[in-house]
Order: sequence, then C-alpha cells, then structure tokens
Amino acid sequence: MKSTARTYTLTSSQKMMIFVLSMSLYGLSNMFTELIPKLQLGPLELSVEYFAFIPLTLCILFHPFYAAVGAALGEVIFGELMLGQFGGLGELEKFLTFSLAMYIAGRMVSDPRNRMQVGAAAIVGVGIHQLCSTLVDIGKVWIGVEEFEAVPGLAESVVLIEGVSFLNTMIVSGTLFALLPTLYLVPRLYGKIEPLLGIRPREATTRYESVKVWTPKLMIGGVILALLAFGAESLSETDWNFGEWDSGLADRLGSGAIWLSIAIAAVIAVVIILIMRARKKRSGNDGSAETVPYA
Amino acid sequence: MQLVRNWFNKISIERIQLELMNTAYGSGHVFLSALDPRCMILWYLFFAIAPWFLSNMIVLAGLFLLMIATTVLSRVSPFIIFVLCLGLVGQVGWLFILSLFFGGDIASALPLLKLTLKLSIVSLASITVFSGMDPERISDGLLALGMPAAFSFSLSYGYRILPVLFEEFRSVLLSYRLRGRAPASPGFLYARLGAYYLKMLVVAFFPLMLATAKRSRTTVEALETRGFSFGMKNPKSRQLKLSHLKVTRRDIAFLSGTAAYAALLFWIGAAYPLAI
Amino acid sequence: MPNSDKQDIPAIEIRGVSFAYPGSEISVLQEASLTLKRGTFAAIAGGNGSGKSTLCKLFNGLIPNYYSGDFEGTVHVCGVPAEGHTVAQLSRMVGYVYQDFENQLVRPTVFDEACFAPLNYGLSDYRLMASKALDLCGLSDLRDRYVWELSGGQKHLLALAGALSLEPEVLIVDEPVAQLDPQHARQVYEVLRRLNRDHGKTVIVIEHHADFIAEYCHEVCLMESGRVLWQRPTAEALNSLDDLDRLGIQPPEVTRAAAVLREMDNARTQSDPRSSLPDRRSAGRHAAQRLPITMDEAVAHFTTFMQSGNGNLHPSPARIPASDPDHAGLSGSSSNEVIRLQDASLHYRALRRARHQVLHALNLTLFEGERIALVGNNGAGKSSLLKLVAGVARPQSGSVTVLGQDTRSVSLEQLSSGVTLVFQNPEDMFIEDSVEAEVSHCLRRRAYPNIEASVANMLRAFRLEELRQRDARLLSGGQQRRVSLAIGAAIRPEIMLLDEPTANLDLSTREELLGALEELSEHVRTVVIATHDMQLVSRWATRVVVMHQGEVVGDGTPDEIFADRELTRRAGIAPTQTAQLSADLGIRPLCRTPEELAKRIAERMWGSPNERADRPSGNLTHKEAEEHAARSQLV
Repeated sequence: MKSTARTYTLTSSQKMMIFVLSMSLYGLSNMFTELIPKLQLGPLELSVEYFAFIPLTLCILFHPFYAAVGAALGEVIFGELMLGQFGGLGELEKFLTFSLAMYIAGRMVSDPRNRMQVGAAAIVGVGIHQLCSTLVDIGKVWIGVEEFEAVPGLAESVVLIEGVSFLNTMIVSGTLFALLPTLYLVPRLYGKIEPLLGIRPREATTRYESVKVWTPKLMIGGVILALLAFGAESLSETDWNFGEWDSGLADRLGSGAIWLSIAIAAVIAVVIILIMRARKKRSGNDGSAETVPYA
Repeated sequence: MQLVRNWFNKISIERIQLELMNTAYGSGHVFLSALDPRCMILWYLFFAIAPWFLSNMIVLAGLFLLMIATTVLSRVSPFIIFVLCLGLVGQVGWLFILSLFFGGDIASALPLLKLTLKLSIVSLASITVFSGMDPERISDGLLALGMPAAFSFSLSYGYRILPVLFEEFRSVLLSYRLRGRAPASPGFLYARLGAYYLKMLVVAFFPLMLATAKRSRTTVEALETRGFSFGMKNPKSRQLKLSHLKVTRRDIAFLSGTAAYAALLFWIGAAYPLAI
Repeated sequence: MPNSDKQDIPAIEIRGVSFAYPGSEISVLQEASLTLKRGTFAAIAGGNGSGKSTLCKLFNGLIPNYYSGDFEGTVHVCGVPAEGHTVAQLSRMVGYVYQDFENQLVRPTVFDEACFAPLNYGLSDYRLMASKALDLCGLSDLRDRYVWELSGGQKHLLALAGALSLEPEVLIVDEPVAQLDPQHARQVYEVLRRLNRDHGKTVIVIEHHADFIAEYCHEVCLMESGRVLWQRPTAEALNSLDDLDRLGIQPPEVTRAAAVLREMDNARTQSDPRSSLPDRRSAGRHAAQRLPITMDEAVAHFTTFMQSGNGNLHPSPARIPASDPDHAGLSGSSSNEVIRLQDASLHYRALRRARHQVLHALNLTLFEGERIALVGNNGAGKSSLLKLVAGVARPQSGSVTVLGQDTRSVSLEQLSSGVTLVFQNPEDMFIEDSVEAEVSHCLRRRAYPNIEASVANMLRAFRLEELRQRDARLLSGGQQRRVSLAIGAAIRPEIMLLDEPTANLDLSTREELLGALEELSEHVRTVVIATHDMQLVSRWATRVVVMHQGEVVGDGTPDEIFADRELTRRAGIAPTQTAQLSADLGIRPLCRTPEELAKRIAERMWGSPNERADRPSGNLTHKEAEEHAARSQLV
C-alpha cells in the first residue's frame, strides 16, 4: 500500500488473473466473431466486427491496463494465431490501437455504477479504435499503390469505403455489441465478479497505481512515432507520396532502385531484430519489463 | 437465402468447435514446421516488409509464386485460404468498382492488381509461417527473438484452455436454449432467428465471465506453486526453454534457397523493368 | 533442501496458526496446530468450511505469502520455516494438486505439462524429471497427447505428475474423489499409495470419503471450525463415530452396520435375561473391540460375530422371495411408454476427421413412473444417452421417441418443455444472477401462467426461500444442486434427466438430495439418473440400466444387478459395501442400507419374533429401508 489510502495496489497475481480472464474471454469471443457470416450489401459490409463489450466491461470493472492488454493479446492468440490468420506485423498495429482504445475507455470511468460514464466510455473506446484502424487502412492502400494520386477515383473510393465501414462498425459493433451489452453487463457484474478474483470492487474514489508504462524508452518511442506520423502527413501535404518518389528513383537509377528498396527492407528488418534483442536484454536486466503483466 | 438456411442448419456449436480445433491443433509435422522458428520468423519479416517497397511486376509475381509454393508445402487448411481469398477479393475488388464510379477506368485496375499481389504475398508469407508451424514453436521463436515470456506462455495457455472454454460456452448456450423460447418463425431473411442466436451469444458471456473468473483464480494460484513467476525472472529457465532451438543445415538451405531465388527475381526484374 | 537423513524432522509442523482472508472478518483458521511425520499418508477431514483447504495452503506458503491476510503462528515445512521463504521456494518441497485440477493444467500437451515446473526452476535435467514423474503416474504412454484428449482420471494423474516433477517431499491432494468417478479415484489412490510406500513421499489428502480413508490412509486429522480437533490412526479415527457424525462425515458402510449391530447386541444382552453367558461375554468383547473399517475386516468381523452367537442361527431360505414385491410393476404391464430408443446410434466427430462411436444401435424403452438409474463406468455412454433423450444430440441412425415425438422432428426449445436435463455441474446451468431469477427464467421466457405462485412453490419445495436473492454460483455444493433441481422441476417436465446428481456432495447434502428426489416424484412422472453412486442406486432406483461401451448390458432391479458379479465386474460398477457384504454373508435379497443389513444379521442370529409377526414375507420393504435412511445415519 502506498501512503495514500486511495491508491489500490494490485498484487502481481491479481494482475495476472485479470489478464488471463480478459485474454481467454475476448479470445473466445473473437473466434465466434470471425465465424459469424457477414452480410455483404455491395461494398458495404454489415458484420459483427468484434464483441467489444467484453474488454470494455473488464476494463471498466478492473484495472484497465491489464484487461486491455489481455484482450488485445487474446485476439492475437485465439482469433489470429490459432485460426492461422496471424497477419504478422499487421497484428502489431491492431494490438496497439485496440489496447490503447480499451485502456482509455477504462480510464474514463471512475465509478462503474454511473451509467452515463459507462456508456460514454463504451462509445469512445470503440470510436478511438475504429478511427485508428480506418486511418491505418487508408494508409495501407496509399503506400501499396504507387501512383495513388494518378489512379482516378481511387482516393475517393478508399475514403468512401473506409468511411462507410467506420460508420457501420460504429453503429453495429459500437452500439449493438459494445454500448448496449456493456450497459447491461457492468452493473450486473459489479460487486459480483471482483470477489471471485479476490479483488475489491472499484469505487468512485479508487485510484489504481499508475502503470509504469510511461518509461523513458516508451516516451522516446512515442516521440519518434509521432515524428514519423507528422513526417508522413507533411509528405502528403507536399504532394510527395512514396509512389512517386519510388518510381522517380526507378527512372533515374534504373534497376538500382529495386536493390535500394530491398536494402531498406533488410535494414528495417535488422533494426527491428536489434530493437527486440535490446529490449529483451533490458528486460532481463531489470527483472521486470513493465509491459509484462506478471511483473 | 438458401445459403443462410443452410448455415443455420449445418452450423452447430459442436461443428464450429471441431472446425476450429482442427485448425488449431491439426497442423501436423509437415516440412516447414521442422525448420527453426527463428529463421522462419526472420524469413517472414523480409517478405512482410519487402513487397511494400517493390513495384516491379515480375518480381512481385515471382515472389507470389514462391509464396504459393511454400503455402502448399505448409499444408494449410483450405478454409484459411478461402477466408484469405474472400478478404482480398472483397477489399480490392470493391475498391476497383468504386473507383470506376469516381471516374476511373480499366487502367486503374493494374495498380490495384499490384496492390492485391503485395497484400497476397504478405498474407501468404504469414500463413506459411504462422499456420504451418506448431504454435509452440512460434512462441519459442518469438521468445528467442525477445518477446516477453508472458506472451509465449499465454499462447500455449490459450491452446490449453480453448477446449475448456468451448465446453463451458456450449453448456451455457445449451442452458439458454433449454430454458428459452426460439422465435416461432425464422423471420424475414432469417433475421429473427439470427437475432435470437446473436443475442444469446452476447448474453451467454455474463455467466461465462463469472465462471472464467473463478477459474483464473485457481490457475494463477497453481502457477505460483509451480514456480511460474520465479521462472519469469530466471534467465536460466528461459535459456533452457530455448535450448532445443538449433539452426540446422536444413534451415540454412531453406534460407539460402529463398535468397537465391529472390536475387534471381531481382536480377530478372532489373533486366526487364516492367514497372507499369 | 532438506537432507533425507533428518528423518526425525517432521514433514509439516504448524503451531497455533490463525488466519483470516484479506477483507474478511472471520478467521478461517483458529489456533490450528498439527504435526505430520515424514512418510505418513494422512487424511484431513472435516465438514464444509472447516478450513481444510486453507490449512493445506499453509504447507506451501500460499498462506501467508500469497494471500496476505491476518496471520499468526508458525509453519515449518520439512524443518524450514515458511516465513521468509517464497511460495516458489516452498513448492520445491511441497507439491499441490487442486480440487479443480483441470484449471491447474496450463500446457497443451502431457509432456510439456510435466516439464513446466522444472523448466521454471531452470533445472537442466527437466526432461528426465518429467519423464520420471509421468512414469510414476503411469502416463508414459500418453506423453505426446493433448491434455484435452485425456479422461478426467488421466488429467488428475497429470496434475499429480506436474506436482511430482519437482520431486517434492510432501504431496497434497485436495479431494481427489470429488471430481472423479470411483474407478478413477481408486486409480489415483493406488498411485498415491505407491508414492508413499515405495518412494517415501509424505502424502496428505483432503478427503471425506471414509471408504478411501479406510483403505489407504494411515492417519486422520479432523478439522472443526478452523481447529485441528484430533489426529488419530485411521482405525481409531473412523471409530470415533460421534465426532464424525457431528461433522457430517459418513463412516464406511461396514462400520455403520457393525455399529448398529453392536447397539442391538448391547440392548439385547442388557434387556434379555435369558441370553446365555457366552452371548454376554461376546457382547462385552465386541463393545471393547474396534469396529471394522474395510470390507476384509468386515467379512471377518461379521463372520466371527455370527459364529459367536451360532447356537441359534436362523438360516431361512424362505426369505428369499422369487421377486421383490416392490418392483413388481417393473415389467411395465400397466405403465405407459415415455421414452423409446430404437437402434439409436450416436457418434461424435473427433479431430482429424476421426469418428468416435459412443452408442451402438441402442434399444431401450422406459415407462412412466419408473425410477431409472443409468450406471456404468466413464465412457460407457450414459451422458450421451441422456443427451439423446433430451434432444441435445440427435441419433445419426435409428430413432429416439420421447413423449411420442421423434427428437429429430422437434426443436430443442420445444422438446425441453417436456423433458428436462439437469447437468452434472450445476454451475453450467446458472445463467442469471439470483436463485429466484434462475428458477423463473424459463417460466418468463415461455410465458407460463401464474409464474409468481409456481416459483414460490418451487423455492419452498427445494428449501431455497432464504437463498432467493443470492447468486447461485456462490452457494455451497449442495445448495447449488438443489437450485439446479428446482430449475429443472419448475418447467414441470414429464421426464427429468439427472446427470451425476450426487457427485461432489458430502453426507448431509446427499441426504438433502434424496429428499429433493422424493419431492420431484410429486411433480415428475419419470426420472432417469446417470450415476456412479451405488448407494443412491440401491436406495432410490426401481430399475437399473447398465451400460458398457455404448451398449446396454444389463437391465433389472438393483438386487438383480448387484447380485450379478460377472456383470458388475464387466461394467466396472462397484456395488455398495452393504450389498457386497450381504452377498458375502449370504444374505439375500441384498440389503440397501447398513441399518437394514444390521437388522437382518440380528434377525438371523437371534430371530425376531415380532418382526416375523408383522411381516409375513419377512422382507424389509423399500419404504422401510428408506425410513431408516431418513432417520439418523448412525445409531
């Protein structure tokens, strides 16, 4: 216990329980949502994207960080790896945006009994996640098609499709499978599920100890990411997209451009490996990587 | 319409469970799963990143062929391939049709085809590596490359707990059905029956959450008695877990073979810069 | 690590330990003290909530290192003070197998599971250790299997192997019998005995099944409200009938029969001045002698007992009636047929397109008013049969007709208004957050009339009125079982199917269940119970259907079935001790309760004039047997 009586320090095993709980439940639900048939109305897809209510409920009832990371990992493991649909690096993006969105939603609620807060958190949680993934999806096409600007109508189509799918997800997954079930579940589970894990129910005054994720390493990573995002933004402002850049190079340097791009890919791969290595060493040194739930 | 009806008739939760379990546990000991997971992951990293920087159609097509070959080698279940194709066609196909509306023409199909190729290469690479390989090996590989130990544990725990979760979910659903009332008529487009089942699917998570909460408590306690948290901080334990990973001649042959093939492609690509 | 030569250091030593879980006012342990020698095989017994599991969590430091509640007292494990050592350190010396052992298995395959602990400790010969542990538990052949492919018993053994892999000095096993059928439980106990006898492990089981205690344990520690009441050698412990009775622990049936007989003998010798001197002497001798606790002891005991009063033995062949009058209706002449299975076959698809045939062209007709017990070992197809009848599974060939409807032609929702399936695990049935809501859920969904009244009625009938607002998941095992029965009965079905209703129940709860079954018979026309519990079968059923490998291999009254040694052996069912003993002593028809057995032995030895006058047939009816049972279990 910290000096302030209000801070509620969870033991590492309680964190682990929340993590395991969130992972298995959301993972299971993910297997189902992968299988629920999608109703295709032209380009518009009416589908149950995910059962966001599960991580939302758990993030609201328990420490949001462990519930959020657990759920995101559950999706990767059950919904992707076990079904053989693991998208490799693409999952990293999902993992980050999803856990971030759920975490924020959980932090928004200070009193699980307050229905307004719970409802708002549910909508905002799904909203953040959908916004992020919409942007990423647009970005993928933008990077993947060299003459993005040159293809007439492509930009409009991408924005339209992604925009509609954003709205659709907000309405279907956001309302039917996030807002309503969360509003139904949180009050019913409040005070019931916590004792099963040996955890005190969250009160309006409860303050969880801050997760020590905001370490220098993460700060620096965040700053770099933000810079990158800003850089990409300004690139698009200046009518300078990767495609043009690439083909321009190809014109000037001929085959060299290909080798260059291979080299870049290789460098990126090596850098990633080095980062992973370094992280591993660091976590080996200080004994507990902060992002590891079982610290 | 008929499709929907069939879906409702054929699909039972047992069936789904079986299919999923087949997918999850069915991957046998095929050629690719004998390779060192670290090498496979590095191999994957290259093919997941490189295509985004390529624009030569020949190179892309060549890589695509390679991916098809490895996918066949890894004997992925047809179900996964089907899902993949559906996703690709859905995403890119509609993009194309819509762009026609916004003043595009048939010429815009080509860049989009290229996009499809890139996406396919990346997806097939991940399918080859991550579906063809035993998940335990994937997690060992990731652990070796520096992922936190919690991740690799969670993965194998997921494999352990899935059948248990399914059983429990099944009995909860059964409870709802045994004590509920199905809509008298399936409704327009089977919408009413669909809604009935969907609602049940959601509501069933209430009892499931409580039951799972009860279970995780024992699990975490038992983990403690078996030295799990101790092992997480113990470098020796990690070292032991990974000691079985060895780069063999087969791995080197595989990696250098692919590398040679890729180099050949780039060479041809350079000779015929078909950068449309 | 402790040296093996320090034999005099006790395995477990607890001094004055009190403990309350965090956030709880009530102390679960109150000044508990206990010393267990090395190499012992001890049972820790006690009623629900007496602190058995909590006590065992002291041994590996889970308390107070993991659960940080209010703790007092000292704990030494193999001479090492628990204080100042982590759970991980203490767990090297103490292996723990949980009651819900299934949640303890965390790895996908058998060998991985056995490797898990040694790997965590970074022991380089972990493979060897795992193989050894698997070998000890007889699982070597299964090392590459997935955990979910194993049977319940195998999973339990795997949990044991997982604990053994660290080569601990002490093994704690929490209620091995609770989640296993008797056959598998015996298998586990045989392994434990071997570990104890041949490998010198100290084994501690939490157990309240006296049969197992009698057969396997050296000593018994009885817990009462957080204290260790006493610690006695098994024979003495199981003879402490008053304490056991007070705490709701049922002594072995043979012990009960002997106790009743001794009472009768004492009463007779004291009241009957005509009784001969040898009789008196033998009575005195018996009073001092301890009662038998195992079958072998019992056979010897009763044989000598009966020989001692040999002068006037009453062997009366006339007492074996051709057929039990109580079961005369069985032939079904007057009854209506309610369930008919015709060549019903069922197979499940298993992994890799394999098929698993569970029922082979089954033919069975069940009639109204019957109390049917479905027996057979695990995997015999009992649960599958219930599922077929409930419409949860449909036969792939043949047909199942329930209440005149072919199960393939009606939806599950429709069928379930006439047939109710009560699951083996009550918790799987709980979908609401209060008992009342559970019971009324179906009635509201299906818009029954007079919901309020019938729910109130059900709650009263199953004595749930005080629990109506509670969450059923948080009730005790027996209460949960009653709720599950009330849920089923509230639908007012014509057929009720119960899967293992007595599994995991202690004595008092079992008695409650029998009462609830009586209650059911007022509402429900036909009840089918799948069970391993032969006491339940012999006390409740009118018809026993024996299943073996997906086929019906026996069908008859309990007496007929239990008397058929060949059949019971083949089907892997263990008749009750009472039935076995009466067979061994040549008493037919077989007795249903220990009290009945004692009475019949008494009749044989001393005759029973008034009994004979009352009842020409001289045979105790079922009803009377039940009256006995309904009274106290112990005299």
